[in-house]
Amino acid sequence: MHRRGNRTMCIVYLIAFLFSLTSEQCSSKLIEDSSQSFMERMHTGKTSFIYFGNHGETLINVLQMIAEPLSQCAKLSKSHLSDQHISVSVNCSEDAIANYCTGEKLMTKAYLFRGSEVLRSFDIDTVFDVNAIVSHVLFSVLFNEVRYVHTPAELLRVESAAKQNSDIVVGHIPVLGLPEHRALMEAAFVYGTKYQFVQTTGTLVLKHMGVVDPSSSQAWLWFLHCKGVSRRSDPCPSIPMRKPLNTINIHTFLQLMEAPLTEAVLDPSDVDVVHMHLGVPVLYLFSQLQTQQLDWATAQTLALQLRGEVGVVVIHRDGPNVKTSLKYNAAYRLPQEDVKYFTLNSAEGVVKLFKEELLQEHKFEDEEEDEEHWSDLDILDDEVSESVYRDRDLMLDLESVIELTSDTFQITVTQNDITVVLFYFKWDAVCMAFIQSYIEVADALEGMNGVKLAAVNCGEWTDICSDHNVTSFPTVLIYRPMAAAQLYKGMLGTKSLHRFILLSLVSNPYLLSSSAEVMSFLEGDLYSKHMYLTPVRVLGLFSSTHDMGVTSFEEAARLLRGETILGLFAHKEAEQWVEGLSVNLPALLVSRSPGVPYEVYSLPSSSPTDLVSLIKQVELDRFPELTVENLPWYLELGKPLLLLFIGKEDSTESMKALAEIKQLLSSGQLDSFLPCWIHLGRTPVGRSILEKYLGFVPPLPVLVMSRLKTGEEVFLFPPERPLMAKNILQWIHDVENGQEQPAGLIPDGKWGPPVPFFDFLAIMDQEAPTYAAQRAPKMKTGGREDHREQKHGTPNQRQTPHPSPNPQAPRQHSEL
Amino acid sequence: MSVIQRLSRLLYVLSLVLAASGSGLHGRNNSVSHEYCVLGAGPAGLQMGYFLSRSQRDYIILERNTGPGSFFHIYPRHRKLISINKIYTGRRNKEFNLRHDWNSLLSDRPDLLFQRISQELYPSADDFPRYLSMFVKELGLKVKYGADIGRIKTSDLNGNQGYILTDQNGVSYQCSVLLVSTGLWVPQQVDFLGSDLVEGYESIPTDPEEFKDQAVLILGKGNSAFETAQSILGRASRIHLYSPSPVRLAWQTHYVGDLRAVNNELLDTYQLKSLDGLVEGRLEDIAIVRREKDGGKRRTLYLTLTELLDDQNGNNISKVTGQNLPGYHTDNFSLRQPYDRVIRCLGFRFNFSIFDGSARPPQSSGARGRLPGITACYEGRGTPNMFVLGTAAHSRDYRMSAGGFVHGFRYTVRAVHKILEQRYHNIAWPATELSISQLQSWILRRVNEASGPYQMFGVLGDIILLRGSYCEYLEEFPLQALPQLSALSGRLLSDHGLLVLVMQYGLNQTDTLGPGRAESEWTKAWRSNFLHPVLYYYNTLPTEKDMRQRPVSWPLPRPEAVHHMVEDFLTEWDQPISHSQPLRHFLEHCLQTDLRAFYAESCFLLSLTSRTPPLFCRQGYLRKQGIVGNSHLWQHAREAGLMADHQGDTSVSEYLKHAGAAVVSAMNFDL
Repeated sequence: MHRRGNRTMCIVYLIAFLFSLTSEQCSSKLIEDSSQSFMERMHTGKTSFIYFGNHGETLINVLQMIAEPLSQCAKLSKSHLSDQHISVSVNCSEDAIANYCTGEKLMTKAYLFRGSEVLRSFDIDTVFDVNAIVSHVLFSVLFNEVRYVHTPAELLRVESAAKQNSDIVVGHIPVLGLPEHRALMEAAFVYGTKYQFVQTTGTLVLKHMGVVDPSSSQAWLWFLHCKGVSRRSDPCPSIPMRKPLNTINIHTFLQLMEAPLTEAVLDPSDVDVVHMHLGVPVLYLFSQLQTQQLDWATAQTLALQLRGEVGVVVIHRDGPNVKTSLKYNAAYRLPQEDVKYFTLNSAEGVVKLFKEELLQEHKFEDEEEDEEHWSDLDILDDEVSESVYRDRDLMLDLESVIELTSDTFQITVTQNDITVVLFYFKWDAVCMAFIQSYIEVADALEGMNGVKLAAVNCGEWTDICSDHNVTSFPTVLIYRPMAAAQLYKGMLGTKSLHRFILLSLVSNPYLLSSSAEVMSFLEGDLYSKHMYLTPVRVLGLFSSTHDMGVTSFEEAARLLRGETILGLFAHKEAEQWVEGLSVNLPALLVSRSPGVPYEVYSLPSSSPTDLVSLIKQVELDRFPELTVENLPWYLELGKPLLLLFIGKEDSTESMKALAEIKQLLSSGQLDSFLPCWIHLGRTPVGRSILEKYLGFVPPLPVLVMSRLKTGEEVFLFPPERPLMAKNILQWIHDVENGQEQPAGLIPDGKWGPPVPFFDFLAIMDQEAPTYAAQRAPKMKTGGREDHREQKHGTPNQRQTPHPSPNPQAPRQHSEL
Repeated sequence: MSVIQRLSRLLYVLSLVLAASGSGLHGRNNSVSHEYCVLGAGPAGLQMGYFLSRSQRDYIILERNTGPGSFFHIYPRHRKLISINKIYTGRRNKEFNLRHDWNSLLSDRPDLLFQRISQELYPSADDFPRYLSMFVKELGLKVKYGADIGRIKTSDLNGNQGYILTDQNGVSYQCSVLLVSTGLWVPQQVDFLGSDLVEGYESIPTDPEEFKDQAVLILGKGNSAFETAQSILGRASRIHLYSPSPVRLAWQTHYVGDLRAVNNELLDTYQLKSLDGLVEGRLEDIAIVRREKDGGKRRTLYLTLTELLDDQNGNNISKVTGQNLPGYHTDNFSLRQPYDRVIRCLGFRFNFSIFDGSARPPQSSGARGRLPGITACYEGRGTPNMFVLGTAAHSRDYRMSAGGFVHGFRYTVRAVHKILEQRYHNIAWPATELSISQLQSWILRRVNEASGPYQMFGVLGDIILLRGSYCEYLEEFPLQALPQLSALSGRLLSDHGLLVLVMQYGLNQTDTLGPGRAESEWTKAWRSNFLHPVLYYYNTLPTEKDMRQRPVSWPLPRPEAVHHMVEDFLTEWDQPISHSQPLRHFLEHCLQTDLRAFYAESCFLLSLTSRTPPLFCRQGYLRKQGIVGNSHLWQHAREAGLMADHQGDTSVSEYLKHAGAAVVSAMNFDL
């Protein structure tokens, strides 16, 4: 390697390869620059690709190869780039341009200049071969022409800008620098003025374009007919290119997109259309004077349906050179074949003919792909199943969980204060994923008095499960002696279940007999006893134990066992707790944590179940931190989210942003929203949410508005503005008035089948054509029996029709 | 059935109940009235009695003998049942164990099983009536013994057809619904010259010593013929079996009415050329003639052909000469040697004689007319409100399934009872409501334990009525009545279509014991030969016409989509790659929705980033019942590329990407 000290050793290789892109002439040269000529080149304002090196033979060879393809492009092109020069130079000098010749940069970088400005530098690793150089250089040069999109939302934006204006070519390049990338860039280079080119590498866009298996590292190209859409709200019809991505195919494809329908007054065999040269089948339709308009309409429909695959030519019969017999009204010609005539009955018939028969080759390829795809089907595509399957050699340690049987069930569930019973199936992945959490809970509770965790394998003890009406798996029921089983309705996870069981042990409601006890319940000793379970306390305040609502409240408390800690203060002193507040007894007092002001609600007399929902509602935080465990409670409110994302490190900026929103909240200006926040440290999946919303993760904190229920748009609070209450209000206002551009879209994707259907019927029809076919109407069903009785003649010994296996031959056991 | 019809039926039944309660007073000895009369206290009658008693219907079981199951006091003659009584299955699942218990009747008493009576794999026939007695006693079924019904006629009961049964004492029973479970008692006979020289299976001696050194010709090649042959094999000199069709082996045809290997020792002695043999020929063409031998000391019987006796007008059998025997014309004729005995073992037929004109069901088109013809819901053809149960109802699945045998018809009886409940009491077919996200595991549950569809393969199937986000699961509906599903079950169809789960044997085109007999590749599951679950998906209910024109040997018409779950050596369809996932993909296609399961974290992401998250998240997570998992499992899912990884600044989410090929177990079980 050459170090700093070796600078003088740099032998000047000024090998520049320059080609002028003029519409008439292509001249390209590899030029070796000296420092002087380099400086001169800097002043021409032309584009040059320059490598600074000394022993650069290998690269020189590569660079020489570039001359050819680039000049080819130029020939095809009548591009706006034609007045530019792209020179590709390899250069290192002893003196003036030392900046580029020094140290480690030497030999490891190449530069793209426009004039004296460095457009981009490349690691030699990325420009590893001709394809890579060409694609990267062109991508940089065409930076303004080719849009790079990342998310479907970005693509939609490009689309809506292009509607009624120009068509779009979208290329998906899984890996940059490969021949496909180069082909796309070359196409962009040539057709850049005509179409809007879009490049993407994201699988999200692939899914958006309807690719079934976005994981395959295949390149894709679509043509979006945006120019011709009649209304701006219409989507642009898209047509995928079905052939491999290379320059010739793209060229052909784009040509086909341009000219679907032509006219002629010649016999089919004499018609010369571009399609024949492109190796594409041509469909000829004969038109008569009387029905000309109708024929033309039919032809147009067909041309549209077959666009990209078949060229359509309308032949006017009245032409003197048309000699085709009147009994045919259509003909087609496959590449390298003669014209074949036929009679067209319906447009659908022709489409069918082409799609199912004449384009067989295509179909064949598809089928081959399909077959490969089926082998993919042996890979589990379900995250829960797959993760459980990967544990298949893991023996679950069920020691801390009692396995119940028909014989032990009744005894066990009446023996403990609380028996938690899990009903599960061994073959159900969700059950088996949950049982790991269940064992974790059992281990954590091991040795605790009065609590026992048990499990029933419903694959074996089906009678227990049916007797307890368990129809959903997994199910967790809580049994207490002399009480009906309680269904656990919380998240099926270690934390939630553990908390639920511990909370279940707390007597509910806490009967409080004095204000001092109330105080203790809300923030004193009674409080701290269960502080680690939940900070929230809900207190029912009644003026006396004779109040009608007390029993209802007690019943509600029983129903909420395991979920909420409730206190009951039915006492004449209860009045004190609502004094000075605009609420009368009976009332509900909510304490979120000690030191935070209580919230008080009046308590209407209602049924226990209504009380339960009321209590659950008042328990909800007004500015919650969203977590995986609590999101469903908040989504239920159906409000648009005002979502603040906070980074791992609790920066002052984040704290300030939280405070600002809290301030807005208390002023009541956010009532139509659910303000909430996600801490990316505690909830790392928040990062993926941001990515899906915006396509990238901006510096945090960041405020986003997402209207999940009502709209599809996501708005981003402008990152350059400080997150201040008044700015936020202004922004909300702007969004509501439609003055803000959405930053992303929430797709209303239907969750259809994730894989194509494995169609047994189709396979049967293919492999055993009559097997799955309905019988012809005449046949009698009675014929299923085979009464093949011996007709006549001497009864004689007959062998059974089944060949018996030769006992001498080694037994072949082929059960598997 | 229209509502009015149904109402009028209901009223009619009600009025009958009233009439019945009053009848005790004035009827006394002469006339009794019941809503349901069950004729015969055999296994089918008692099974129906149990269901009627459980639903607290007014019923009576009439039995001419003094105890239940009297058929089994005589038959099988050699006293060994060939129905499997497998008491150790390695499993404790009661439903599953019924798959291998062919003798017990269904009840809600978990211990009322045949194994309480016998632990033998092939129990003694005497044990069966004992079991039935126990069944009657413990369940308190109402059986009237000693009532020998000699005559059944129709009668008009408030505009509906009812039946009046008269016993030997002249007592008449007025029944609005008649359930005929008389079984098959009448020996099947074929009329040919000399049939009077033939002994019947029903009356032959069972002591092998009586056959000492005798040559025996047995007509028939069924289980009774082989059972007889087997019992005398050690004493008789030569045993030949003669019947039209070749032996059909149950282990080849999967039909338990064909020759069971339990009784097939004669196949061995035949193939090893140890004096016994099988011959095919028409029964109508033969004649049995007697020739005196050894000065009249020994009766010798010859098999000959009717045409050989026709030379003169008068057929004088006593003067049979050598020319009347086939051996005279064909010197190597198989059955040329004389026999000491000819035994008829041709099975049994339904006793049509007790039915008066309009009460008589027609003869079935199949099964050589030995059985009554019945509709797909087991009602006699042309005899409304009369149903046929048990062995006599076998014409619906003759030579196809197990409807002629206890282990099969106990389920058909249950199905018929559900039809009765709907038709006469407006109680819809029981259904379990399931959310769609639970459907797959419920199907797997049924497939892995249900005994009804397993025993009554191709005949009873589970019906899943799709209703969008949930479905109704109906168990063991008679598939041939599928076009009348709504009327028979009282369950309405939605436009989401329906699924039918059937157990089926396969094409059976390969050698039953030969290579390639079993399929293990799920993608070729439709070629499975052994019993395996098949799911049919229909947009709309098939019509009668669709049903008639169904593909040959299919239980159901061609559906919109079909799914075969590949046969399994252990009949355990619970493996993730070969069973669960293909099933899920099929359901996804039928329901047009993604049915994958997602951890809570993925649901969190999907709930915030799509307007309608996948079904599993909607029905689980968003109802606060998400499956959380743990870091160990998430790690697996992330390594597989199925779960989003939020570490670092991955520019493109690799979410949902397939990766990390799961290694499919390629264990070889070749022995």
